[in-house]
Amino acid sequence: MPEREIQRTLCRMCDDRCGIEVHLEDGRIVDITGNKEHLWNRGRLCVKARAAVDMVYHPERILAPLKRTADGWQQISLAQALDEIAARLAEVRERHGARSISVWKGEAIGFGQQENIARRFVHAIGSPNYLSNDSMCYAARYFGFKLVDGAWPVPDLANSRCIVLWGANPPYAHPNMTQYITEARRAGATLVVVDPRLSAIARRADLHARCLPGTDAALAWGIIHELIELDAVDHSFVERFAVGYAQVAEYARSFTPQRAEAETGVPAATVREIARAMANAAPRVGTYVGNGLEHHENGVNSIRAVAIMDGLLGTIDQTGGACFKCPPPLQDLTLYDELPLTELGPLGAARFPVLYELRQECHTMTAIDAILEDKPYPLRAMIVTGANPALTNPNTAKVRRALEALDLLVVRDLFMSETAALADYVLPAASFLERTELHAHAKHEILSLTRRVVSWPDVQGEYDFWRDLGRRLGAGEYFPWPDESALNRWLLDGSGLTLEELEAHPEGVPYGHACAVDWRTDGFSTPSGKLELASAYLKGLGYDELPVYRRPAYREAADPAYPFVLVTGARKLLYLHSRFRNIARFRTAIPGPEVEMHPDDAAELGVRDGDVVTVTSPVGSVDIPVAVVAPNEILPGSLQITHGWKEANVNLITHDDRFDPVSGFPLMKSLAVRVERRARDVDLADDASPA
Amino acid sequence: MRIVVVDPDACVACRDCEYACAFQQSGDFARRDSCIRVNFYAAERACVPLTCLHCAEAWCLEVCPAAAIGRDPGTGAVTIDTRRCAGCKMCLLACPYGNIHFDEQAGVSRKCDLCGGDPACVRFCTSGALVFMEADEAAERRRATLDARLRRALRLDKDEE
Repeated sequence: MPEREIQRTLCRMCDDRCGIEVHLEDGRIVDITGNKEHLWNRGRLCVKARAAVDMVYHPERILAPLKRTADGWQQISLAQALDEIAARLAEVRERHGARSISVWKGEAIGFGQQENIARRFVHAIGSPNYLSNDSMCYAARYFGFKLVDGAWPVPDLANSRCIVLWGANPPYAHPNMTQYITEARRAGATLVVVDPRLSAIARRADLHARCLPGTDAALAWGIIHELIELDAVDHSFVERFAVGYAQVAEYARSFTPQRAEAETGVPAATVREIARAMANAAPRVGTYVGNGLEHHENGVNSIRAVAIMDGLLGTIDQTGGACFKCPPPLQDLTLYDELPLTELGPLGAARFPVLYELRQECHTMTAIDAILEDKPYPLRAMIVTGANPALTNPNTAKVRRALEALDLLVVRDLFMSETAALADYVLPAASFLERTELHAHAKHEILSLTRRVVSWPDVQGEYDFWRDLGRRLGAGEYFPWPDESALNRWLLDGSGLTLEELEAHPEGVPYGHACAVDWRTDGFSTPSGKLELASAYLKGLGYDELPVYRRPAYREAADPAYPFVLVTGARKLLYLHSRFRNIARFRTAIPGPEVEMHPDDAAELGVRDGDVVTVTSPVGSVDIPVAVVAPNEILPGSLQITHGWKEANVNLITHDDRFDPVSGFPLMKSLAVRVERRARDVDLADDASPA
Repeated sequence: MRIVVVDPDACVACRDCEYACAFQQSGDFARRDSCIRVNFYAAERACVPLTCLHCAEAWCLEVCPAAAIGRDPGTGAVTIDTRRCAGCKMCLLACPYGNIHFDEQAGVSRKCDLCGGDPACVRFCTSGALVFMEADEAAERRRATLDARLRRALRLDKDEE
């Protein structure tokens, strides 16, 4: 029997990054199990982790560079690919200027240093145009909390007496967060879940607020109204550390539970019960906001309205409350201080200043328009790494047209994704088991080093790729490190931690002691130094000072042609965005796309489970089978379609021109649509009926 | 002995355990291959995970005419020797909890064998509803959970801590 070797590293099948043990026989990965010493997952894993074995050795994996030719894909050497790509980028830069080149970093590649190395590359070659998945995921929640607290605090869920989840379903989205919720519930905590659907976590909720999509801010204000009525506000905290309380109290006055009910559909009695549960548990109230609040026209306001409750209840840095965590003490790879390049007009920065000022994110939907219209200037070349916008960005028919119109599209991926299929060059990317990089778990304030467990001859890690391309484009000075390990060593300079220490402790090394900022003495990282219940910064930019409620368009100006409201993007346990659809046993468990529908709506439409319907928005149509769910699993008149399926891509019908004005996030979770039985099915049904 | 203790109050019916068990049995994620079963009843919002309890007096073991069911001396698990199993299905009828299923393809009964002492269902349970522990520890934990709830409900002074 071959000898078994175990390497401890982190899983990156999703961003939970659980501690894992990779089992190897003769250098080949044969199993993946949980690392019981890792603080985050404590040895437990979701079944995605084990599937990394299949992903790494998948027969469809791209392991050599491919070039598009008149006769189809041609396999070429890595050196030839990099030489040709560099030459074509230089040509585009010569003709249209450096800013006509962009980089698009996807979720699959991760964040932290892999994000920053991509930012570094694009700036080093003279373009401000760094694009990523963050212009429609995560950043709006970051803004919601950053604008109030100066940072996004991490809830101490395991010690909370009341947990409030807004549009979040941890069992499917952050599986191991569920352990912490269970721990709190076993100690007697109340669980409140705000979600229009009966999500997996809502199955355990003591209070489930089935809020109409996009109306979360009204529910938040209803709760705030009650918290004030109950005199649950921590006045000594608010007076010393917050600004804007008088305005909040004034605005909340009219948000009676009855008004909240009229806007959200959540019974007034439930609004009162939620407020009472929070008031009784304060300051041990742990709040977590998920992706569900982001993709709406009033998303950032909804998130801010939730965030200010931490201030009102004084849960900041309390056991079981909203805790500030130190960022990891790493050197910064980005070049924003050296090469700001803002004078070159980063795409989207003018229209969505908060997106650029607070996160240096360009706006992907603006970039798509720039490609197609040459406005505000031409965008002619794009390097995509670990992203699949041809499936995951809104209005994908238009995204595809734009990607096809580029002078040069280079895609780095493990597989021939829908985006890679449009490329001029496809480069083989390294999976997370083929790269070594630093990862921080903010909750536990630990830093870990992942390891390269396997490797392939022509497959480069992210750093090696950007270094080689940067050097070919005359930007070699920005990539002085010979390899990933040298880069990791540089990142750790001045942190007090060494690479050797991290190598010896795959379960992570605490870095919390390096953090010296305390809001009690130093103030919050907001413009006023206070917790901002109202934001003068936003007001100065022409936005709402208070996180006010605005009724979603599908309710404010209901169009009888589109009577349903569609939520897209609810998570499934086995898939992450467009990834893993090629893992065979995942398809056994969840075989394909479906539109979740209330039984009353199904009856009215005359459709049964499995029947195909056409769902249409002003953007387009998609044919998709129906899944009729239980009456309490979805609200009547609402639908849900999970994204990432090429067989029925819901982003064919999502809006790329209706945004949250602050974050620039597209409208993807409260779309007005109509549903029709597919004509062909109607015919078939008629044929089948007895004459 | 240690058993897989299930806590319906912590289960979210995500089915991670079913997938992990099915994979252990067959390499695929087909529900029929799993020895642990999680049922979700939407109307009651009830999640019911159920797997073999490895009874001290195991009726399946006693009723098996082929003597294919025995007890693992190391883990105490009640296990089926599929080479001896005649496919008569008496064990399916004998188990009061329905924790044995029939593999039509192989023509034999299948049940939980605790994966030799490190059950996959527990390792892949992200909510913590499944725990591999001594049966009396489980009772102790259940008491502690109930006490915590009662303590909260009965507490008059919320500032006590």
